[in-house]
Amino acid sequence: MQLSVNGKIHEVDVEPEMPLLWVLRDELGITGVKYGCGIAQCGACTVHVDGAAVRSCQLPVGELVGEVTTIEGLGTPGALHAVQAAWIEHQVAQCGYCQSGQIMAAAAFLALNPEPTDADIDAVMSANLCRCGTYPRIREAIKAAAQTIRSA
Amino acid sequence: MIRSRLTLASLVLGLLLAGPAQAQDAAPAAAEAAPPSTEEGLANWQVFYEVASHPRCANCHTGPDNWPMWSGPSYGEPRRHGMNINAGDSRVGAEALMCSTCHVTLSDAGSEPDPLPHAAPRAATPWMLAPVETEWFGKSSVEICNQIKDPARNGERTIEEVAEHVGEGAFQTWAWNPGGGREPAPHSKTQAIDALLTWAAAGAPCPEE
Repeated sequence: MQLSVNGKIHEVDVEPEMPLLWVLRDELGITGVKYGCGIAQCGACTVHVDGAAVRSCQLPVGELVGEVTTIEGLGTPGALHAVQAAWIEHQVAQCGYCQSGQIMAAAAFLALNPEPTDADIDAVMSANLCRCGTYPRIREAIKAAAQTIRSA
Repeated sequence: MIRSRLTLASLVLGLLLAGPAQAQDAAPAAAEAAPPSTEEGLANWQVFYEVASHPRCANCHTGPDNWPMWSGPSYGEPRRHGMNINAGDSRVGAEALMCSTCHVTLSDAGSEPDPLPHAAPRAATPWMLAPVETEWFGKSSVEICNQIKDPARNGERTIEEVAEHVGEGAFQTWAWNPGGGREPAPHSKTQAIDALLTWAAAGAPCPEE
């Protein structure tokens, strides 16, 4: 079957039940997306499908409809997405394992709500866990990214 | 004159012959149409109530605070959906995080449910809370009974149409085959529909408070 990831069409020969996460990581070698829990409880595997945040560990690839974007396709080193730039500015990451999912979740969220309150941020980002507990920095980075997006 | 008498006679004869025949036809039909007793109606309501109040149904038939619930044998005490998930007034999570972020919309109603315990369940329809006026979670049998037969709170449906809705809905298909080690709704979909229809035929009696 064919799928489009980060603007590129890929042909893969896999079972339709295979979660998108494993198609990305094991078949296509796109490893920015992380495996955390495999049951949609941690958010580490978050990617975008047509711009909406999706837990790739839950999505059988046969049910995929739309264009996939992973952290590799969100921005480039020369042209970071506002959330990626804010992540660096606020030095959010500690171990960094969850940050790909955090950034993808935040980017999808800010596209819909560029003026989030703390409560809005908590409502959306509570489903992305950070074992290092960097939540205060995550929240600050999201606010900074929102500011960048609004002023762009 | 003679002709008209003959006509009258044949008409009378026809009526005499037709009368008993019609009565014979009508008799068994009348017996079939004898409505179930109130007692039978209440027993059938109880069957449907057991379905409606089961976690597979009630967890997403929640009230105006829009919190999906986690309850059932694998959860201990009932509690709100983890991860601070609130479905919002949209009931699909549009205000913050769409239910479909984790709950996949299957393309085929015949697809097998998710096999993994505690994974996000999925159905052949976009995941969402039921309309707020159909609040079942924590509600009594009489409260749910009155809601089901109130067109203002059941989507302007007759009870027959409610039964049809139970028959066709993808969530209802999921409720009896939820996967992941979850306890299915009790009875069966067919039994739930039959119970609704028998309850309706009995005049849709509701239990006392």
